[in-house]
Amino acid sequence: MIELRNLSKRYGDTLAVDDLSFTIAPGRVTGFLGPNGAGKSTTMRMILGLDAPSGGEVTVNGRRYGAIPAPMQEIGALLDPKAIHGGRTAYNHLRWIARAGGLPRRRIDEVLDLVGLTDVAGRKAGGFSLGMSQRLGIATALLGDPRILLFDEPVNGLDPEGIRWIRSLLRQLASEGRTIFVSSHLMSEMEETADHVVVIGRGRLIADTSIAEFTRRGSGNHVRVISPRGADLTPLLVRAGATVTASDGTLIVTGMEAPRIASVAAEHRIELHELSPRRASLEEAFMELTQDSTDYQGGTANAVAAAQTAPVLAGTGTRS
Amino acid sequence: MTTGTITAAGRLASGVSQRPTTFGDTLASEWVKLTTLRSTFITLGAGVVLSVAMTALVSLAVGNTWDSWSPERQAQFAPILMTMSGNVILLIASAVFGALAVASEYSSGMIRLTLTATPKRGQVLLAKLLLVSSITLVLGVMTTVSMFLVGRAVLESYGISMAGLGDTDVQRLVLGLGVATPLFPIFGVALGIMLRSTAGAITAVMGMLWLPQVFGELLPAGPQKLLRLAPQSGADSLTVAHFAESPLYSDPAVGVGIVAVWLVAFVGAAYFLLNRQDA
Repeated sequence: MIELRNLSKRYGDTLAVDDLSFTIAPGRVTGFLGPNGAGKSTTMRMILGLDAPSGGEVTVNGRRYGAIPAPMQEIGALLDPKAIHGGRTAYNHLRWIARAGGLPRRRIDEVLDLVGLTDVAGRKAGGFSLGMSQRLGIATALLGDPRILLFDEPVNGLDPEGIRWIRSLLRQLASEGRTIFVSSHLMSEMEETADHVVVIGRGRLIADTSIAEFTRRGSGNHVRVISPRGADLTPLLVRAGATVTASDGTLIVTGMEAPRIASVAAEHRIELHELSPRRASLEEAFMELTQDSTDYQGGTANAVAAAQTAPVLAGTGTRS
Repeated sequence: MTTGTITAAGRLASGVSQRPTTFGDTLASEWVKLTTLRSTFITLGAGVVLSVAMTALVSLAVGNTWDSWSPERQAQFAPILMTMSGNVILLIASAVFGALAVASEYSSGMIRLTLTATPKRGQVLLAKLLLVSSITLVLGVMTTVSMFLVGRAVLESYGISMAGLGDTDVQRLVLGLGVATPLFPIFGVALGIMLRSTAGAITAVMGMLWLPQVFGELLPAGPQKLLRLAPQSGADSLTVAHFAESPLYSDPAVGVGIVAVWLVAFVGAAYFLLNRQDA
């Protein structure tokens, strides 16, 4: 279990991490989400005792990282897969780390086997592809067989197969009761992998809930309705309290569940060709929540976002 | 490359015993780090080989031209110093070795792995210093003794004789220079921590090594005396001073003090900074 209490980190004038308090619990995958520069990597480095907090504290199983007698056996991490000396073979890289942790040599072979790098263990790590480097980093984190694992954007640069492999590995490790903390930008991937999310923006905590709750909160939940008499249906729905956006013959209805829409249509004998409820994706919920917290936003992105949240019909029955 | 299958067998039922990590672990891991990089062997090996080769060449040159030297010059030059002419290469190679031993971890970012495996940073610094010192000490003595034997053999073949290793003055020079070898590698380690870049650390340690000597010739007498406080001047006061003269040399006792102060200052600064740094 990792506990953060009022954790803060200041670099000069910038407050990179601002009064973060949350707990990372065992037995599940906790996703750590936030836009670029939100403070995710800084937070992870503070958990590992690499950066000293400016305020607050963070403990691993109740102790400061520096006070853990055999840290590799309690908590393993992958921060940067390229943080290796390219002139060393993968095997020797794991060898010095295992030695530093007082771990037996057979652990090296075991983790190499787990990540599938046994065949290339004798190759210089500098020649590894990004995917192979990620695997080597994961092997490193697993050397001490720790109960807690931290991964900073582990799927960056991986192909779909690699992503799928990591996802199943993380879920497997979590099912063993370990504490898994994964930061990511890939919202869709988080959706598949994580059970719980902690969302930060500009160093501040924005959300700390289950995935289901998080997506439920997103206002993107709607129902798609296609009807040959959509123009007639729309004012009926609006009068019943829903909000309707019409686009190319499709009605996007919010504020009303599908069964109710079907009833309204049936009451007035209006045919429905499609009636499909859509849950907000994690991506949409995330974008919404962190919109104000993104430090760097491109101009085009802003224009597109503005267009998508364009005026919604409410009570007038016409498009603006 | 096959992907690992996540089956029940893949579960890490490793039975790894929970014993706290010790200084011995840290020391051993630093040893593994040094001995698993080909560049370590190349740097040190080249240092040793080229030092001896340079001594041989210089001795050959001196032997060949000795007869054409004026009597005053012959009296002035202790031939034994010619046998140590390759020492400059030993100094450079060992200093670079020391600088790289730490700085390369910062430039690759590997320092983060080191410091998460061993959060007791003082332990990491001590291990690195111990290894760098002992390796350069052993190689240094081997090199200076080899240089002496080779150089002496060459010079004697030209009829220029000198005392052997049994002579205490010779021992002081040869063994003294050998034992002094770890000095700049230690500065290299400290500079690696202070500057966190390989180019920076190497440049700085080379500057420390050479600038005092270079400027020593150019400066007027007053400021020149200040250069006696430079680390290499202090070290040379203990070893070379018996056979040569230079305005940069002090009393041996003072020389010891100078070297000690520099070591304490650099190692102390490195310890302080390493503990305070954000990795």
